[in-house]
Amino acid sequence: MATQIVMNQRGDSRYNFDAKDAKALARAERRFKELTGMGFTAAVRTAPGEVALIRKFDPTAEETLFIPRLVGG
Amino acid sequence: MAMLAQPRSARAFLSDALQHCSRMAKALRDWFQEAQREREARGRKLLTEWLSPEQWAQYEAYGFFDVTGSDTGRRYRIRHGTVANVYEVDEAGQTRAGWCFVPNGNLVAGDVVLAQKIALETDERGALAVANNLEVRAER
Repeated sequence: MATQIVMNQRGDSRYNFDAKDAKALARAERRFKELTGMGFTAAVRTAPGEVALIRKFDPTAEETLFIPRLVGG
Repeated sequence: MAMLAQPRSARAFLSDALQHCSRMAKALRDWFQEAQREREARGRKLLTEWLSPEQWAQYEAYGFFDVTGSDTGRRYRIRHGTVANVYEVDEAGQTRAGWCFVPNGNLVAGDVVLAQKIALETDERGALAVANNLEVRAER
């Protein structure tokens, strides 16, 4: 089971999907495009504590984290 | 008699109404505090999952953790918080500069510090480009 985690005012929202299910995968890809289109940054873990940004939907990623756009504080 | 009973009844009504309002206010406050606790707990859980074991241990012990900038190799210290909580530190751990940048939206501290870690470790220049530079006092 793969998961997309979206940071938000509730803490985060998690969307689980079966990456072997073509429809679920298509929905996950649509969600990826919508969120990154809105300015979210997508990141995946490559090792404990290590993170890489991704610009394109990765159907093999077990966990993708979406972070809202950064602004100066 | 009726005239005497009326004021007492009005007072009783007012008292009941005030008690009802007080109970509602307490219930609302309890609900809000519980929702806030849940938000904080979710943020903390996410942070535990994405920090390295060393960073998590440092955060638990001191309320901050260190990261290395992806472009310059500089060291940054991210303190628990949601504003003005990122400092560049030298090898001795002395503060050199302060930076303020946060993810957009009203996020909990766990989410904010995780977003700052990921930004500095993957796109340091991009993060600092949007950040405001803070005046660093003698804080260590």
